[in-house]
Order: sequence, then structure tokens, then C-alpha cells
Amino acid sequence: MTTAAVVQVVVSGLATGSVYGLMALSLVIIYNATRTLNFAQGEMLMVSTFVAWSVYHAGLPLLVSAVAAVLAAAVLAFLCERLIVRRTLAATHWDVLIITLGLSLMLRAGAGLVWSHDEFPFPSFFRDRPLAIAGVRLAPVSLGIIGASLVLMLVLYALFAWTRLGRAMRAVAQNQRAARLMGISVERVNSMAWVLGAVVGAVAGVLVAPVIFLSTTMGLIVVNGFTAAVLGGFGSMPGAVLGGMVLGLLENLAPLYLPSGIRYSVPFLVLIAILLIRPAGLLGRVERRKV
Amino acid sequence: MRVFLASLVAVLAVVAAQPALAEQGVSDTEIVLGCSNSFSGPLAFTGEQATRYGVDLYLKVVNDGGGIHGRKVRTVYYDDGYKPQEAVANTRKLVEQDKIFAVIAPQGTAPVAATLDYLEENRVPLLFPFQGSPITRGKKYVFSGMTLYDRQARMMVDYLAGTRKFRTFATLYQDDEYGKAFLTAFEKEFARHGSKMVAAEAVKRGATDVSAQIAKLQAARPQATFLVLTPGPGAQALKEREKIGWTDTVMVSAGPLTDERYLGLAGDAAEGVEGLSLWPDPLVSDLPGVRTYRDAMQKYFSKNEPNRYSLSGYFAAMLFTEAARRAGKTLTRDGFATALESVKSFESGILPPVSIGPDHETQKQGFWVRVEKGRFKPLTDWLKSE
Amino acid sequence: MRVTAAGAGVVALVAWPWVASRYFVFLASLVLVNGIVAVGLNLLSGYTHQLSFGHAGFFAIGAYTAALLTLHAAVLPVPVTLLAAGALTAVVGLAFGVPCLRLGGLYLTMATLAFGIVVSETLLNLDWLTRGADGLRVPAARLGAVTLSGDTARYYLVLAVAAAMVAAAANIVRTRTGRAFLAIRESEVAAQASGVPVAAYRTTAFGLSAFYTGVAGGLFAFVVGFLSPDAFDLFLSVDFVVMIILGGLGSVPGSLAGAAVVTLLHDGLAAFQNYRPLVFGGVLVACMLFMPGGIASALRLRASH
Repeated sequence: MTTAAVVQVVVSGLATGSVYGLMALSLVIIYNATRTLNFAQGEMLMVSTFVAWSVYHAGLPLLVSAVAAVLAAAVLAFLCERLIVRRTLAATHWDVLIITLGLSLMLRAGAGLVWSHDEFPFPSFFRDRPLAIAGVRLAPVSLGIIGASLVLMLVLYALFAWTRLGRAMRAVAQNQRAARLMGISVERVNSMAWVLGAVVGAVAGVLVAPVIFLSTTMGLIVVNGFTAAVLGGFGSMPGAVLGGMVLGLLENLAPLYLPSGIRYSVPFLVLIAILLIRPAGLLGRVERRKV
Repeated sequence: MRVFLASLVAVLAVVAAQPALAEQGVSDTEIVLGCSNSFSGPLAFTGEQATRYGVDLYLKVVNDGGGIHGRKVRTVYYDDGYKPQEAVANTRKLVEQDKIFAVIAPQGTAPVAATLDYLEENRVPLLFPFQGSPITRGKKYVFSGMTLYDRQARMMVDYLAGTRKFRTFATLYQDDEYGKAFLTAFEKEFARHGSKMVAAEAVKRGATDVSAQIAKLQAARPQATFLVLTPGPGAQALKEREKIGWTDTVMVSAGPLTDERYLGLAGDAAEGVEGLSLWPDPLVSDLPGVRTYRDAMQKYFSKNEPNRYSLSGYFAAMLFTEAARRAGKTLTRDGFATALESVKSFESGILPPVSIGPDHETQKQGFWVRVEKGRFKPLTDWLKSE
Repeated sequence: MRVTAAGAGVVALVAWPWVASRYFVFLASLVLVNGIVAVGLNLLSGYTHQLSFGHAGFFAIGAYTAALLTLHAAVLPVPVTLLAAGALTAVVGLAFGVPCLRLGGLYLTMATLAFGIVVSETLLNLDWLTRGADGLRVPAARLGAVTLSGDTARYYLVLAVAAAMVAAAANIVRTRTGRAFLAIRESEVAAQASGVPVAAYRTTAFGLSAFYTGVAGGLFAFVVGFLSPDAFDLFLSVDFVVMIILGGLGSVPGSLAGAAVVTLLHDGLAAFQNYRPLVFGGVLVACMLFMPGGIASALRLRASH
């Protein structure tokens, strides 16, 4: 393997990793606020990206289509949380897991009925022709994904550090009861968490669709996102980003040095490995189970 | 208790009410055909096109014209998602519950191969599957639809190594019977020409990323690289090679892949790609049969763009109709098979005249194409595969 | 009243192949096989609250073990083959489960999801043994000199095994193990405080569940006759979960009812492929919102009126 080839693979890996990081962030945002996992996160991403595709094919510019994806995601998440998940607010995280599992099936079938189960090329914001930098060919798509993801992550950081909503979400994540006593509406925070998570997911979808083609099976990326989140330390947002990058790199480097067929198994093997060896992940603290 | 007994009786009534037929799948008013195909998964597009916009398109014309000896033809399809186990279960359902006369145009080497034993045990004809593995040879009720892979490999290698004098080759192949059948055939043909396979990389069925494989293939520096894949990974291979700037090889698609479909997915990366085409250009060809096909598509499915997959399904139904007409009013599976075997110099207006003999092969040809401005342009006439 | 219903049910089950067509006998076998899986999954999820999204993995191990044993060691009678399938699955299940069980909750569920997929990938990659993506033809089961070929023979095999395993599961509640399970279900903390070694019993539940699913997998291999790794995917694991949620967690008859409904729906919707996940997803959501106890609790309510 030449150095140039390895650099190319590393950049590709960081690009996929950025998308996994965004996916992981969206899961963690929802989990921190609601203590539940949204199994339908991937399908919501997929539906939003399809909406963008339809808008684009109606003749509108790509940027408008991306905005449409974000809006669709926000509405979808809001409705799902309000009408379906909230009705089981009193129940365990189990029930939400099962309900969102059911939702993911329905969304996938629904998308198939509206757009078909075919795979579609998705337009990219970035050019296809590779750039040559210092003898290494880099794909603008990869660089663009990394860049856009970093921008979004910075925006999220600002949101959580400096806005009222962000502070409210952090408060609810720390201690729901105390937050409620302080006058924070936990229900509103939950809704906002879902919306925010879905919006992040939609951006990830629009970024990654040009690379992997748009299809109804895109939703399975949620498992990569979960693995990334656990790898980094489930619940930690910097952890989600770090976990995503590491997972992306592992996924791209492994098939280069091992048999190519291993690529698909990597996220699952990594998940099992990290859960067995260090469930707290790279950046997380070991949680004591409260009795 | 009452509910339980009532439902028991209802179930028994449904189960017992199976009408008796002279030959399975043939009644006074209709013939029932069907197949297990892909309507989801890696071959969703090709499966949908071959059945609903291919076989059904031709049968619509036939049925509108009164049918075959007064019988309309009805089709039943189930989705196997390109999974062999599902294909077996679906085929069982078609034979035992829907009581089809014959299986027509199923898709996928591995799924079709999985159903062979069952169909043979139950004496159900397997007609014109969209696959070319040689394992379908030598079976009484099986008639191949696509030029078989060993013939395709021979044409491809004879042209590249013989006519264009290429010496080093690589293959990116699907890791199952589809890919391996081609790989074996290529190796055999190379030996005859003194050429070499310098690298071969496998892609798991259903996988979408081929970056590692392309990187490894590039390192071996082949003059031509064969793509034995489904449209998704095929397009990914083209995109990936453009991404890493690998220009000194010719990408060549095998028969099942050669269609504008995967070019569309690859976008700009498709320029200069070559392949073996099994069908004339469905959008542009002036052949009478292809024009009739386009007219029918315009009439019944005006929004659907013609492509080689629906053309192959259309052709399959055409062959079926021809044989069923020859078999006469009393339609039996044996009679049908005999009628098919008797087809000589059948003019379809799409392919060269079809003659089916005891080898049960309906197609034995292909021709070379290269992409120019997003469409495959023919470089040769029909090639010989003997 | 209930005895007559039960009696009629038994007669119907035994007499089924005489009245039903080949395909419906095949379907009935499938229902029973799925019933065993559902009962096994219920032992894990219904009693000890460990939700598994990876039971397709256990199912696959059992299926391939039975198929390969029959292929390479045809002399073994089918009960031994099935036992071996179940045992191997249990061993693999425990090897995986023991370290993961201490994770609990969400992590365990996602770990099982990963497990299920890794099993399928491994079977795919071991293509020198399993024929990988091309799939494996399963020879007919042998019982001594008798070859169980034909749907009817296979149906009776499945019926016999299912009857034994379901009866065992129903009776587990009466044993010490069963009471421990129920205690854990009511309140893990209270059970632990009462001296029930929760971890040990959770492990037992995991192993038992794997065993049941492995045996069912072996039966499945004979009934269907052809295996390929890509059919044992996440969606199959989800189907199993739908069975026990619909049937009602913690109820053996509920699990059987859930298995029957899901299997028949799956087959009935074959012509409406595109709507299938919509229906199943809708069933899950509707169950959790309106009928959390599943069919079991719904029927119990009606009976008490």
C-alpha cells in the first residue's frame, strides 16, 4: 500500500466517521434528555433525505432541498414524540425502544411505498473530481463532509453552552427531578431533544447520501451511530464525535489489511468488543447502576 | 369456545376448497405463471423492470388480443430480496398454493440455483431465468434465458485478448455463484489466449462499499478490469476508481450489469466504460421488435423508461407465448417443453433468430459496447460464443 | 368447557395433515417452529426483562448445525441432531451472554443485535463449511431407517418436539427456577434482597432461551429444506420480538398465539410485500400503546367478564 493510498483511505474514513459522529450525536442528544433510545433515528434520517431528493427533483436548488430535509425531520420528530412516544412517558425505556422499533418498520415501509425500494443517486454539494494536494488525491466530497460536520458540531456546542434551551437540556440530562423543580418543562425539553436529534440526522443524511446512494435501507446507519456513541462513551457528546471518527477509520482501514469482506462486520465486532472490554467507552465514566 | 370452533371450521373450509385442474396452472380461461424475484434489495430495480414492466407488458398486449388459444395469462410474483432461502420458500408457495403452470423470468444466480432441485422434483418448468450459471444445463424442464456465463466469458476474453490484444486482467466479482461462475470461466479462457488474471477481489452480495477492493486491484495494474456485480456496487466501483484517479485500466461490465442503469448511478464516472451487451439499445435501436416494445411501453407505462431489464422480461414472455401457441389448445408441461424445443429461426425483431435445441439454450450471443455521453454505443456486431 | 376446547385443539393439531393441503401443513409446521422460538424468547424477555434483538443468530446456529450434522453424519437420528443443535446454540449463547449479561438493559439489547448480525456474517464467511452466500440444501431428517421426507412426516416431528418443549416451558413456572424468574420479573431488587441469585438465574434464562431457539432452528432447517445466511437477519429477530410483544410478555399461550398470528400474517401478506413492515410496525406500536399485555392479557380480560 502506498502512502498516498493510505492517506486517501484515512480521509475517506474520517468522512464516514464524521457522519457516524453526527448520527451518534443525534442519538445521544435524545438519550441524555429522555433516557431513551430512538431506534427509528436512522429511518427518520432516510425519510428526510428522500424529501430532499423529491424537492430537488421538483426543480429546486440543492440548498433549498437540504433545508426541506431539515424541516421534514423536525416535523416528523415532533409528531412522533408528541403523538406516540409521549403517550408512554410513564413507562420504561424498553417500551420506547419497542415503539421506536415499530416506528422504524413503518417509516421504512412507508418510504418504500412512496419512493420505491430502488437506490437513487443523490446530488452532492461538492465536486466529484479529486483534488491533488502534495501528490495525494483527495475527494472534495470527503473533505466537504468533514468540514460540514465540524461546523454543525461547533453550532451544537454553542447551542448547549450558551443558549437557554441548551442549558435547560443539560439540566434535564443531569437530573430530571431537580430540573423540573427549577421550573424547566421536561416535556418541552424532550420534544426539543427529538427535534434537534432529527435535524442533526437529516444533515448527516444529506451529506452521506451522495456517497452511499439513497435507498430505504439507509436507516441501518443507526447501528453504526450507536456503536460510535458507545465507543466514545455513551452520553458524552465529545465522545460521540470521537467514537464516530474512530469507527470510520476502523471500518475503512480494516478491509485494506484484512480480507475485504470484513468491512460489514466491523461496527458489530467493535460494539461487542467495547461492551465486553470497556462499556464506559473511551471518554465515559463507569456508571454505577443505581438500585 | 364458539369463536374457536368457528375459526376452525372457516380454516378447514378454505383449505378444502381447492379446485381440481387438468394440468396445474391451466384452466379453460387462464394460464397462471409466476416467479420469485427481487422487489427489494440490491436487484430491486432490475426485478421490478423484468416482471412488472417486462413480462407483464408483453402479456398485456397478448391478453388484450384475446390471449393464447382463448386463455388469458395471469402472473403472480413474490419478493425474495435476492436471498436464496426466501426464493425457495416463495417458489414453494407459487407451486403449491398459487398452482402456477411454470416459473418465468426469476432473477439472481444464487436464488434460482437454490430452487432448481425443488422445481425438478415437482416437474415445474423453469423458463428463461435472468441468470446465466451453467448449472441450469441438462435439465428437462429448464430453459435458459440469458446467454450462459461461460459463453459470455468466452466472448469477452476472445474479444479483449484476441482482437484487442489485452494481456493482463483483473476481476471484481460478487462472492457467490454469480461471480464465481464468471471467475472460473475467465480463468479457462485466459489459458487459451495466454493471458493472465493478475488480481481478483470479492464483494459480498449486498455490500455497498468497494473502496478497499479497488485499491487492491489498482496495485496489481491490470489492463482491463471485469466487473461481475449488481448495479449498486458496480456504480460504486466506477466512482471509487475515479476518486483515486486510477485511469490506466478499462472497466468492463459483464452481461447482466451492462445497462445504462448502473451508469446512471455512477454519474460522470461512467465515461469510457465498456461491456458486453446482451440486448440492443432499447431506447435507440431501430429493430422492428424493439420499436414495438417501445410502443407498448409508451401505451401502458408511459412514465417508465425502456431498459434492457424490461426488454429481457418482454422477450421472455414473447418466447413463452410463441411456444404456448405452438403447443396447442391442450396445454401440458410436456407438450409445452416439446413445443419450445421445436422453435427454429424464430424472428423476434429484437435478437438474432432464435433456435432452441436439446441444449435448451435460448440465447447464445452478445456484442461489445462502450459508453459515450452516458449511453452504450455498439463497437461490434453480434459476437460468437461457440 | 376448557377441557373440550383443549381436546378439540389436540385433535385438530394431530388430524391437520389429513384435511389440509401440502402447503398448509408446511405453514402449520412453520407456526409451531416459530412458537418454540417465541416461547424461548419469552423465557428471556418475558420473565427476566432482557430484550433480545439477536435471536435470529441463535436460530441460524441451530439450523446450520442440524443441517451440517445431517449432511456429514447422516447416521445420527434426528432427536440427537436436534439436541446437538440446541446444545451448541446454548453454549454459544452462554459464551456470549455471560460477559454481556452484567451490562443489562439497553446495552444488552444492542449487544444481542450485534451478536445476531455477527453470527450471520460468520456463517456467510465460513463458506467452505456452509457454502456461504449460495446457500445450503438440507437433506431429509433420518430416524433410524426411516427418512422423514414429505411435509406430513416433518409436521409430526415438529409437533412432537413442540409439544414437549412447550409443556416444559409451561411447567417451568412450577419449579424453583420458574418461581425465581417470576420474582425477578416482579422486582429485581426485591428478589436480590430475598436471596435470589439474580445473575445466575438471568444466565440460566439466557441459556435456556438459546437452547429453545437452537432446537427450533434445527426443525426449521428440515421444514424449509434450504438455508442461506442472509435470511437470518435483523428483520427476522424483529419478527420474533413482535411475536412475544403481540402475544404478551410472560405468557406461554400468548407466545404461541403471537407466533401463529405473525407467521400467518407473514404468509398472508406475501402478495403485499411492501406493506408487511408497515403492518408489523403498526402492530408493535398499537400493542405498546393500547394493549401492552398483548393477546394474553386481552383474552384474560374477556374471560373474566
